Amino acid sequence: MHSMKKWICVICGFIYDPAVGLPDHGIAPGTAFEDLPADWICPECGSPKDSFEPYTE
Amino acid sequence: MNTAHNPRVEIDASIFNPYSKDFIRNPDPTWQILIRDYPIAWHRDLQMWIVSSHELCDRILKDARFSPNFRVWELAPPPKPEDQKTDFDRAFEKGFFAVGPQAHLRLRKLTMPAFSKPVMSQIDAKIRDLIIGCFDAIGDAEEFDVYQALAVKIPARSIARMVGVPTDLEDFFHEFAVNVIKSTRINLSAKEREASMHKTLPGFKYFRDEIARRRALSHPGDDFLGSLIAASDAGSQLDDDEILSVVFALITAGSDTATDLHTYLLYALLSHPDQFELLKQRPELMENAIIECLRWGSFGKVPFFRFATEDIEFAGQLIKKGQAIGVNIQAAWHDPAKWEDPLKLDITRRLDGNIVFGAGAHFCIGTYLVRVQGSLMLQEFMRRYPNATLADGDGRIDYEWTHHNARRINRLIVKTNRVAARKAA
Repeated sequence: MHSMKKWICVICGFIYDPAVGLPDHGIAPGTAFEDLPADWICPECGSPKDSFEPYTE
Repeated sequence: MNTAHNPRVEIDASIFNPYSKDFIRNPDPTWQILIRDYPIAWHRDLQMWIVSSHELCDRILKDARFSPNFRVWELAPPPKPEDQKTDFDRAFEKGFFAVGPQAHLRLRKLTMPAFSKPVMSQIDAKIRDLIIGCFDAIGDAEEFDVYQALAVKIPARSIARMVGVPTDLEDFFHEFAVNVIKSTRINLSAKEREASMHKTLPGFKYFRDEIARRRALSHPGDDFLGSLIAASDAGSQLDDDEILSVVFALITAGSDTATDLHTYLLYALLSHPDQFELLKQRPELMENAIIECLRWGSFGKVPFFRFATEDIEFAGQLIKKGQAIGVNIQAAWHDPAKWEDPLKLDITRRLDGNIVFGAGAHFCIGTYLVRVQGSLMLQEFMRRYPNATLADGDGRIDYEWTHHNARRINRLIVKTNRVAARKAA
């Protein structure tokens, strides 16, 4: 099962929170980062998925 | 179908002359011609490709084959022998603009802690103090010049405070910052670039000494520089040249550029009183308003540079290895295919997919600082001068025609209407 942890884009600092998702971009709340499509890109800067790292507050 | 066999589309200074006064005053007609008729074209006079539509600028910025490293440029001077390299050369070679994609990602990961919330909240407080000081100096004046009172003072000093330069060295830092930027501009002559580069060396020495001092301490500190020194990722750490390269990047991204942030924010809002009023009523729109004002004002003059690392077929044209590309993002911010009614300032506009801070791997590292500076300045301005207007309707606006990079407003007079409002009350 995929975690509900947050991920941060190391390029621009955008934080993906699976609890919130990205409803405006068609990503439903509850979608784990790992379940985002492989070609998904950061909505802030357009960087690919491998620019993200697990984020702890 | 477009192929690389298409004849090369060419333009010259009669179509796009970023240095002409008419363009600096009113660039949009030129941008619209470029977007509509020449979304990509070889500029015979500038000796580079000019790419102007939103779609193509966005694609180039996200394509790692187009490098920001000017050493890739066919006209770049040959690299210096190792024993002749200066701190400038070393900081550049190890920096964000020069290293390959994997090394760049490592650098970004290691620098991320320095941009974390605890570090940034310290910086917020320091910048707030600086901005309040600038407004205190204006006081109850009936009129003031945004450029002199705010735009010249805030940006480089904000970065100086971010990187921990003592306040009595802020002028020294400002000089350093201006010369760092000039050293990287390929629109300046090689001689001018070299002269500016030499003027950066005292600044680099200052930071190299400070890094050595911090490393000698038991704890390098919790501030920005200390965070860079302490940063570690899977056993990897930043060396001195890499830390200098981060300072270098911050300066190029956020000092001289942010001068225009302050003038254009106030120019945009005060020339649209309805939007100024709306922001006063709905301060939650602040971040959106800042980005929209930057998009609307589009203060750049000369495009961003990228260099082709290989022969690339792009939008029906063949871009050869080593050629320069001017990514005309200022035009893209006014592309009607992306922005409905692009000349309208609308602080409620949905800005998804904007490239105001660039896009892709080299997305502006100073973006947070821009937002903090812009919102602190506007909050303080609206609190003190809620009835402000542009003097004589246009702020008696003037431009620094010869600025190397920006359509730099160097005079914008604001009428505070503060005394009149108090008398009426």
